[in-house]
Amino acid sequence: MRESRLKLTAGFTALLIVSAMFIVPFLWLLRSSVMDLSQIFIMPPQWIPKPFHFENFKDAMTVVPFGTFFKNTLIIVVGVLIGTVVSSTIAAFGFSRIKWKGRDTIFAILMSAMMLPAAVTLIPSFIGWKELGFYDTFYPLILPSYFGGGIFNIFLLRQFYMSIPQDFDEAAVVDGATYFQIYWRILLPLSRSAVIVVALFTFLASWNDFMGPLIYLKSDSRFTLALGLQMFQGSYNAQWDLLMAASTAVVLPCVIVFLIGQRFFLEGITLTGLKG
Amino acid sequence: MEISAKTGQSAKTAPQKKSSIRERRALFYGLLFTSPAILGFIIYTLGPMIASFYLSLTDYNVFKDKTSFIGLDNYIKLFSGEDELFYKSLGTTFYFVVLRVPAVIIISFFLAILLNMNLKGRSLFRTIIYLPSIVPAVASSMIWMWLMNPDLGLLNTALNWLHLPTSNWLFGEGSVIPSIVLTTLWGIGGTVIIFLAGLSGVPKSYYEAIDVDGGGWYSKLRHITVPMLTPTIFFNTIMTIIGSFQVFSEAYILTQGGPNDRSLFFVFYLWRTAFRDTEMGYASALAWVLFIIIMIFTVFIFKTSKSWVHYEGERQ
Amino acid sequence: MIMNRKKYASAFMVTILSAVLVMSGCSKSDVSNGNSSSNNKNTAAEGTTGKDSGSGEKIKLKLTGWGSPEEVAAYKFAIQKFEDAHPNVTVDFQAISAGDYDTKLTTMVAGNDAPDVAMMESATIAFPLAEEGKFLNLQDFLAKDQELTLESIVPNITYSLTPGTVIGIGPGPETFGLFYNEDVFKEAGIEPPPSDVSKAWTWDQFVEVAKKLTIDNKGRNAEDPSFDPKNIKQFGINLPTWWGAYSNFIYSNGGDFLSPDGKTFALNQPEAVEVIQKMADLINVHHVAPSPLQSKNIPGTNVALQTKKVAMAIDGQWATAGLAQSKFNYNVGVLPIMKQPVTTVVAGMFSIFKSSKHPQESWELLKALLNPDAAIDVLKAGTWMPAPKDWYTDSEKLAKWTADLPSRPSGYQGAIIDMLLNHSHPTPTAYVKNFNKIMDVVNPALDKVWLGKQTAQEALDAVAAKAQQQVQGRRDVK
Repeated sequence: MRESRLKLTAGFTALLIVSAMFIVPFLWLLRSSVMDLSQIFIMPPQWIPKPFHFENFKDAMTVVPFGTFFKNTLIIVVGVLIGTVVSSTIAAFGFSRIKWKGRDTIFAILMSAMMLPAAVTLIPSFIGWKELGFYDTFYPLILPSYFGGGIFNIFLLRQFYMSIPQDFDEAAVVDGATYFQIYWRILLPLSRSAVIVVALFTFLASWNDFMGPLIYLKSDSRFTLALGLQMFQGSYNAQWDLLMAASTAVVLPCVIVFLIGQRFFLEGITLTGLKG
Repeated sequence: MEISAKTGQSAKTAPQKKSSIRERRALFYGLLFTSPAILGFIIYTLGPMIASFYLSLTDYNVFKDKTSFIGLDNYIKLFSGEDELFYKSLGTTFYFVVLRVPAVIIISFFLAILLNMNLKGRSLFRTIIYLPSIVPAVASSMIWMWLMNPDLGLLNTALNWLHLPTSNWLFGEGSVIPSIVLTTLWGIGGTVIIFLAGLSGVPKSYYEAIDVDGGGWYSKLRHITVPMLTPTIFFNTIMTIIGSFQVFSEAYILTQGGPNDRSLFFVFYLWRTAFRDTEMGYASALAWVLFIIIMIFTVFIFKTSKSWVHYEGERQ
Repeated sequence: MIMNRKKYASAFMVTILSAVLVMSGCSKSDVSNGNSSSNNKNTAAEGTTGKDSGSGEKIKLKLTGWGSPEEVAAYKFAIQKFEDAHPNVTVDFQAISAGDYDTKLTTMVAGNDAPDVAMMESATIAFPLAEEGKFLNLQDFLAKDQELTLESIVPNITYSLTPGTVIGIGPGPETFGLFYNEDVFKEAGIEPPPSDVSKAWTWDQFVEVAKKLTIDNKGRNAEDPSFDPKNIKQFGINLPTWWGAYSNFIYSNGGDFLSPDGKTFALNQPEAVEVIQKMADLINVHHVAPSPLQSKNIPGTNVALQTKKVAMAIDGQWATAGLAQSKFNYNVGVLPIMKQPVTTVVAGMFSIFKSSKHPQESWELLKALLNPDAAIDVLKAGTWMPAPKDWYTDSEKLAKWTADLPSRPSGYQGAIIDMLLNHSHPTPTAYVKNFNKIMDVVNPALDKVWLGKQTAQEALDAVAAKAQQQVQGRRDVK
């Protein structure tokens, strides 16, 4: 609130410079999506396509069944999103706001899930799911999110829950509130920005997940957008113009979701500001 | 339901210490809340982990019909020095971790502070910082190849124009790892966002107190922002370390481990062993070595965290 | 192995099953539709293959492959024609992205879900699979077949595990040529690379032209004493440094990756060393070639030639697809010759898994996939070349994929087709055992040569002993 004008100007300038660097890959993608194959890789790069090849989008959509892939992706993303947000917030609560014997040991064991390179668990996991008859279904992609929603998210939320003063809980306990009520009425609202971050990351990770669908799906009627993107690469060369157009089409929903999602950060600040 | 019954029992069978009703209640609810996650770990993670550990004690090759148990032979081969690439790729990965982790944490911390200022267009800035994390790797890797092309690339063209020394970037033995670190810095959007979420939890009243005391920018950073953000710094550090040790796709897409194996990262070497050479048993042993290394780092940081991470909720 | 696999699979199953029970209790149907579960049963039944439908045996073949959309379209077209001709057979074609094909296929094989027919790459997992006896010997089919025989297809597109066996047949060959921008040559008043092999350039002639066409930002060429190698505007030649590219010249110089008996590492022999050194000199001594890029997947040739960043480029035949779209005057000549004219042939392959319950139908499918009529669009676009020999020798068939097409410039007949038919050499991945492991030793050493840090002789001698340890012989000698 009391930031000086000079400081604001300096901050603004710094951000402007950093943003200019960070926007390059996206601009490169955007302009490539409406370029002729022969223009994309010209050096020095052309930033304004001439002429614009908007038909790249149409061609990309006809080559790959975008509608089906979009539907599949949406089903998976929504399923994963609900599962992750619900189960990771509950688990993080249990790992931070309740003091119980063995809590930190069990948490440390769960952390180990992130430390083994996926390359060597890929085949055992695949065989397990296949033996269950879940090969070529969405179950292997969605189901795990209902069981904790990934240790990354639990860890992230745990850090935030632990930063919230205990006074709130204690007051609530005195009032006879159950743990669930504390979770629901106090922790969730207070950690709103962290929950939104988890939701945002989950959305993006699930939207762009490539390895999972590659291994567990086989019918192209079940493929996802991320898998579809890989279809433009051939044995000797790729159809870069179409690939860039398709990538843009896949990325744009993410950008929109992010633009909306980050607005909640601003609210998060005023919210805690009031309480604090 | 099963779990809760069991826990009730285990609590009863250990009555030596006077476990108060409150403690037992906490244990019950603690396990209840965490049971989906514990169950999920046992179901989805533990099985494949045990399988891969078992495989690391075999000569498992996906395409061979016979697999025999060979005990610690894979591990002996690793450490005996017979496999030069093991130590080489481990060294490369350490170098990458050492270079990348501080860079990511420091840069994203200050970016987050900038983005948390009350600036015009800040939501647009936040989105832009996050954009490179969304652009698919196939597209962004092309940009890097072309920016860093030694003869035709934009970076060297610019350096030449400024009369500065040029670099071979991704194609030079000495410059390849710093160059890869540079490319990954474009992807720090996620880390920045987590810092931002952490910053949003710092009550404004704290800063106002410093204002009253006449403290400036630095004392705010030193006495409020950093201490209040330690839980987030802790999280980001651990995750960046784990992520950096497992660096793979940059080598896979950009360099294929070259030049002269200088970007042969451990997980890239592991992946090549597993899926190109199909020596899954040996690759599993490689994976478990990395697992232990990451584990040691993580435990170490967790242990030290008590002295520097400050949880508002844990004040006694 | 099956025992082990069963063991952990069952442990995994128990845990998952309990989870499923919990899930179904609070059933929330996350998954799209009931369709998926019924389909699931189909796939389960597939393993035991449907003998269910009475008289005419219904057969389902699984095919995996990779490719760009246009390549996939070609396969789908071929499959359609195949299914029309064999009404009792349906083909389940799974197109997998090229970069992740091996990971996916390995996983499928590990899960006992191998396809009947699969596209394979000789440089990766084709031979590891073949060595474990996972593929049928296609020689048995070739010997009996009326239409498809070893004589009916172009040379060097079949792969053998041992002499006399065939584990895979390529859908078409790819060779190498010297592509160039015609306008650059016209402007400089220099005779372009000949397409007639009898008039092919020697290496020295080639270097001389490359020097004349390498121009710095003040307009001086590389022969000018005041030429500034730090500020080059146009390079004479674009030089890929992967094994496919330099193998051409090693073979041309009478060298090889291994000795003829397959017992000795041969890249440190004078014939090979000379070639590697001469190529590196183009970069570091003559300054007529840009530094090499690691990846061969970068779309280089068409843009580099079109924008006159380079005057000539060594590349595979497939580059014609991109060049044709770039709309400038390009052409192709034969590669410069060291001792004798040679082009290396690289090709993917189709293989049949031994686990297939329907080998004969799989063979018919493989044949259908080799049919150039189905792939005519990809042939015309430039990406592919046909497999059957008569598509090169029969003028009517030749015209179908070469006449009046931007992807087939005037030099194509001489530089690509004649070279393929008369002067082609198999790819090293076809006959060098343990190729990848040998190259894991060689590639880092060569990086030093390309970067000008060591001479070819020093670098290759330094790793010769290590490379020799990985030598396991040749597949084309007993």
